[in-house]
Amino acid sequence: MSTFRPGFALPFEELRDEIDRVWTTLTAAPPVHGWGTRPAEGVFPAVAVRESDEAITVEAELPGLDADDVEITVAGDELLVKGSRPEICPVPHASGRAGNGDGEKQDRVMWHRRERGTGAFERRIALPVAVDASRVEARLVDGVLTVTCPKAAECQPHKVAVRSV
Amino acid sequence: MVTQTQTTIPANEPQSEPTLTYQPNVDICDLGAEVLLVADIPGAHAAGIDVTFEDGVLALRAAVSPRELPGRAVRQEYGIGNYRRSFRLGDGFDASQISAHYKKGVLTIHVPRLAAVRPRKVEVKTA
Repeated sequence: MSTFRPGFALPFEELRDEIDRVWTTLTAAPPVHGWGTRPAEGVFPAVAVRESDEAITVEAELPGLDADDVEITVAGDELLVKGSRPEICPVPHASGRAGNGDGEKQDRVMWHRRERGTGAFERRIALPVAVDASRVEARLVDGVLTVTCPKAAECQPHKVAVRSV
Repeated sequence: MVTQTQTTIPANEPQSEPTLTYQPNVDICDLGAEVLLVADIPGAHAAGIDVTFEDGVLALRAAVSPRELPGRAVRQEYGIGNYRRSFRLGDGFDASQISAHYKKGVLTIHVPRLAAVRPRKVEVKTA
């Protein structure tokens, strides 16, 4: 982010305003994705990747999805997660009417917040090392996907015996 | 109706919480007879979710258990902690009929309007 802007007339007041803005941000509620590295705008799902000696574990937050809604493909050192997240709030039909799920028709739907993304998504996640695709396991519990990818045999740490001669 | 995020911490809120607290992403839509709020709170458990409606403010809180994954962090794009967010919905809602459901990491809250303030279509009769 550029600190200097065109029309920079009152540097100390601008600086004070900037400090106030940063301070307000820091003391306000934490951002949605926490203080860690946030994915770029529009990237879904956000992921966490961890590496142990034996495996790479990828966790992704996928609220609203069933196991059947998610497709996971592993090839070498790349993990592909794709699927589609359904809409829960009733979306007005072309005629401007929508049902609320119990059969009652509504004349209109007025949105006050729309922060949850819906629809198809696809994300490729680069893994630190190649993994054994045949032994990858995934589970989805309470909207949290956990994919355990055992490292490929050639990528696992191998202890070398030192012989004395 | 105006919805508004409450950023101030209520006086009865404990000032020190064991974990970080995050604001969940929400959808709020007004269906006329009710207001529907949908919140993404992955990792929460139904038993740890608390929804209250008081003085026109709908508040949701959800506890999330820490998740321990093996190894060292290579990438971390989100934080793990409890969720908390509140909205001022105003008056005219039937607090006794508010219902909430939690499934697959998504909390859905139905806030019905009082019958007296629901929009009603008036049929025009011909003489």
